[in-house]
Amino acid sequence: MENAWLIPLFPLGAFVALALFRRFLPGQGKWLAVAAVIAAFLAAWPVLFDLVGRGVGPYHFPREWFSAGPLFMGWGTLVDPLTVAMLLLVTFVSVLVQVYSLGYMRHEVKGRRGSHVADDPRIGWYYAAHSLFTASMLTLVLADNLILLYVAWELVGLCSYLLIGFWYERPSAVGAAKKAFITTRIGDVGLLIGIALLVAHTGTFDISANLEMVEHGELSSGITTLVALLLFAGAVGKSAQFPLFVWLPDAMEGPTPVSALIHAATMVTAGVFLVARLLPLYEASEAARLTVASVGLLSGLMGASMALAATDLKRILAFSTMSHLGFMFLALGAGGYTAATFHLLTHGVSKAMLFLAAGSVMHALHDETDIRRMGGLARRMPVTGTAFVLGALALSGVPPLAAFWSKDEILVAVANGLNPVFLVGFLIAIVLSALYMARAVRVALFGEHRADAAHAHESGWVMKGPLALLAVCTVLVGLVALPLGFDGVGSFLFDAAHGPHSFKADPVWMPVGIVLALAGLGLGWWLYDRAPGRVEALRSRFGALARLLENRYYLDPAYQWLVDRVVLAAGRVIAAFDRRWVNDVGMDGPGVATLAVGTRLRMHVSGFFADYGLAVAAGAVALALLLWLGA
Amino acid sequence: MTLLHFQLLAAALFSLGLYGVLARRNAVLVLMGVELMLNAVNVNLVAFAAYRDIPIATGQVIAIFIITLAAAEVGLALAVVLRLFRSRGTADVDAIRGMRG
Amino acid sequence: MSYFERHVLESLIYLPMLTALVLVFLPAKGRALIRTVGIASGALALVGSLYAFLAYDEAVGGFQLVRVYPWFAGLGIDFRLGVDGIAALMVLLTGIVTFAGAVVAANRDEDPKAYYVLLNLLVAGVYGTFVSTDLFFFFFFYELAIVPMYLLIAIWGSSSVFPTFSRTKEYAALKLVLMIVAASVLVWIGIIAIYVQADAGTFDIAVLAQAAADGRLDAGFQRWVFPLVMVGFGLLAGMWPFHTWSPDGHVSAPTSVSMLHAGVLMKLGAFGIIRVGMQLLPQGMDDWSLVLFIIGTINVVYGAVSALAQTDLKYVIGYSSVSHMGYVLMGLGTLDSVGFTGASLQMFSHGVMTALFFTLVGAIYERSHTRDSLVLNGLASRMGWASGLFILAGLASLGLPGLSGFVAEVLVFIGAFRTEPVLGAIGIAGAAITAVYILRLVGRVFFGTPDKQWDNLRDLNLREGIAAATLVVPVVAVGIFPAPFLDVLRPGVAAVLAGIGG
Repeated sequence: MENAWLIPLFPLGAFVALALFRRFLPGQGKWLAVAAVIAAFLAAWPVLFDLVGRGVGPYHFPREWFSAGPLFMGWGTLVDPLTVAMLLLVTFVSVLVQVYSLGYMRHEVKGRRGSHVADDPRIGWYYAAHSLFTASMLTLVLADNLILLYVAWELVGLCSYLLIGFWYERPSAVGAAKKAFITTRIGDVGLLIGIALLVAHTGTFDISANLEMVEHGELSSGITTLVALLLFAGAVGKSAQFPLFVWLPDAMEGPTPVSALIHAATMVTAGVFLVARLLPLYEASEAARLTVASVGLLSGLMGASMALAATDLKRILAFSTMSHLGFMFLALGAGGYTAATFHLLTHGVSKAMLFLAAGSVMHALHDETDIRRMGGLARRMPVTGTAFVLGALALSGVPPLAAFWSKDEILVAVANGLNPVFLVGFLIAIVLSALYMARAVRVALFGEHRADAAHAHESGWVMKGPLALLAVCTVLVGLVALPLGFDGVGSFLFDAAHGPHSFKADPVWMPVGIVLALAGLGLGWWLYDRAPGRVEALRSRFGALARLLENRYYLDPAYQWLVDRVVLAAGRVIAAFDRRWVNDVGMDGPGVATLAVGTRLRMHVSGFFADYGLAVAAGAVALALLLWLGA
Repeated sequence: MTLLHFQLLAAALFSLGLYGVLARRNAVLVLMGVELMLNAVNVNLVAFAAYRDIPIATGQVIAIFIITLAAAEVGLALAVVLRLFRSRGTADVDAIRGMRG
Repeated sequence: MSYFERHVLESLIYLPMLTALVLVFLPAKGRALIRTVGIASGALALVGSLYAFLAYDEAVGGFQLVRVYPWFAGLGIDFRLGVDGIAALMVLLTGIVTFAGAVVAANRDEDPKAYYVLLNLLVAGVYGTFVSTDLFFFFFFYELAIVPMYLLIAIWGSSSVFPTFSRTKEYAALKLVLMIVAASVLVWIGIIAIYVQADAGTFDIAVLAQAAADGRLDAGFQRWVFPLVMVGFGLLAGMWPFHTWSPDGHVSAPTSVSMLHAGVLMKLGAFGIIRVGMQLLPQGMDDWSLVLFIIGTINVVYGAVSALAQTDLKYVIGYSSVSHMGYVLMGLGTLDSVGFTGASLQMFSHGVMTALFFTLVGAIYERSHTRDSLVLNGLASRMGWASGLFILAGLASLGLPGLSGFVAEVLVFIGAFRTEPVLGAIGIAGAAITAVYILRLVGRVFFGTPDKQWDNLRDLNLREGIAAATLVVPVVAVGIFPAPFLDVLRPGVAAVLAGIGG
């Protein structure tokens, strides 16, 4: 456990090796990257066993990085069950995604160049960025202090930029990458301000020490609330919550395995992780807690509703991620630490599978992503189809699949911890989740064959293998919640403030959850069964609502307006001000004025020799007179 | 002969010289005006030295200095005038307005 | 002290002077020889600087490698040399940028002899300023560094025409020199005033600092002299609103001059504020620190917002320098050990980062003959190394962890939050704007599909590669292992702050 810091070094080493020497390595070093991430995955298990053996901790291993003045910045590690769970999730998903990419990134070249099957020409760079992504996320979950956490946090953002913009010849990919980086960066401004403010008051970056001070009430409640909200701004950006979710749908420009990585393991989960890690800070402030819950619920509802209107398969999944992350924040706001982190794990597994399945579909259909042009794929691609259906059912909350258990936990937490408005909202969100999943499955996988989908074929084993493995996990992971053998996942993922928490089947909310999920699924299946008749009827009834959803609540144009008309306009105004006034008037002005005065003054200088002589003589006479009169 | 006579002579010479410098347009005549003014000063210096009780003949020494300097000055100035005449074809000081602002 | 330790600092001044002298007597046609001499001199300067940096013992602190040569006893002027922690880091920076600049300068074809002569004079001035501990020589070298700038820009610079205005190289050179000289008049007044008021009969900075500590420079005196020094040196550091010489100068200057100008020369200004302002006028600094802090914050935001609207690559980098030097001024204004450390590190970080930027912009300009970001596109497919390194510099500029900018900026921010949280928050927002303009620029210039006209662009040549590599190493090293750099800074920072009583 002391050596847990070594885990990120495997992918980090792979990144350095690939970044510098990929030209000289066989297959541009992709095998090295895969081997490194598998090593990291294997190295995470001893930490788990060690933790189970020693008790849940947390265990803190500080190490100095550098210090300035009285402040100490470290690269130490903090190991507790949350860390270990994240370590396993991140490395597991990374392994599967990297293996899957071995097949996926071969296909891409064939799709774009049309001639032969080969690796993408920049495959080495792809794997380098992947490795750095994994390494950063592992560092983030291991960090024992805020500065290291921020370092990893920013590196995660950088990797998302590099990978979303991987195909940088496409302007849309470059735009999406830029949008992702800048949008999350806006949240990060809040995060960094929050960190700086907190540290200015506590004098240490150490997470445990800071939380201890918060718990002992050494910070004023105003500062606590302010810091909590500022830090939450960072989480909102990274986890694509309202109002900073605009980058998420565009981020689909990256290669699909990257989306799987971002959505399941390495990026959007960072926000939830941050709030979970700092939960005592939020529990110390009622306002912050309610803000987290409200933003979570709002994002859950908005994401689900936008997923209902989207026609791009990957975007549906993206909005679904936003919605589920919202549920996690809702749970955290309700004090459901276990529920949120458990949902983080189950959702990660299922969402990774869904994205990989979607990638498999795109692979078969030459990058087609519009679900209206798919159909009947389940029969042609049985493994992909099964995986997708399983993932959809799991995220809809159908027992006994993984996400059902965690969703149920969230439901119980919300029912107990927050006022009924949140509960009602969450119940609506459950129905919506099931509804959009049913729609995606119904339209894309079943129904009649569309022309484009006729020659779809199943993918190779490197792509089917990870899908199958994730499908098994989706079925089984949820069962760890049950008290079989040990006290269930709740006893493992508890937070110190609330003690162990084992799973209990709630007699009211469990049936309600199941019924609502099934109702949503049934409704979706029925609505989209005979497309487009029933849906068109609805659309004409609620045209305004449909347009609102299709335009993603008009936040994109609003931000675009803000950037074009306010930020860039301010830039132009300031730049012009700088040139005309500060430079031309303020700086050149004195020079110009001196020149002008000189021009006037030189008028009396005639150039006639006699004029000068006369002036000298007159001067001498005047001087003589002056002396004479004075004396 | 009193000091006053010498002073009047010097003043007259100086005024003549000044008039020459200011009113003549030919550069050579301007130079002659300058020479007149210098010599007016010399007259003054020598006269003061003679009438006042000034030791070690300061006035005469300075007058000799001035004569030397005036010789050098005339040499230099005539050379300048000569160059001007060569390049411009005239020695008219009013035609040379290179110093106009 | 070993032989090298005794003579390293003066050698750093004499080396470029001697190089200039040797170059004068070389035949102008022997370009290969001239370039070899120029680059070799740069390499020696780098080695010497590295040696001086490593020879500085942070456990001992104070001024080290001290040498005193009596010069003019009547006025108490001696040729005193020595470095404290801050100066040691600046000497290292100068060595790095000088070497990279000398290598890049070899790419120029017009009259390399005169160019290298002037460049070396400039370098001699910069070294002299950083290592002088005698106020007279400090100012002497400070002025020496400025004069060659005029000729370098006015002769070898480039004039540009933009849609709404134009900038000739003569205009830029004249403005740069006139503004800096006007500012140094203020500095000179301040220096003479300190000399007279302290009445110590010496220009020795240590003695004058002691006089200030003993209260011989009373508070009222310091209060009116400090602004002279602050504005005078601040102008060279790009302090708002006296920054306009800087972007225009960059746009007109040739590549290696831009590198030295932004990389080192602007640091002289900030260094002057530390040496003269903070060490000799501690009370004045205390009174005016908030003003400096506020101006620094304005610099950060104003520079970043101005950079947003620029389309010329060099203008973007020029305004980003204004913005980044703002962090230095902010850090100094905090009077906080964390913030001040951050400011000193930012001087180093910005120096190498900006020099890297200009190396790459110069390489792109020499090949494509344009710096217009609206015309350039898709360069990543044509100039892979140049693009990759430019993006790296951009990421350092926007404060990405793992690169030098982050460590420095985060220290400045923490320091700011320990004193004036609101200004700190504004500064952090400025860092976010940096991300916007850097990423917009990178997206437009390097990504996308390149036009036909860029088909023949070649990637960096060996010389540019060496220069860029020299600059990348410290950018990454400070980002990942800042501890050795901070260790050297620590005693210098502590000593200055102890004088102010903070």
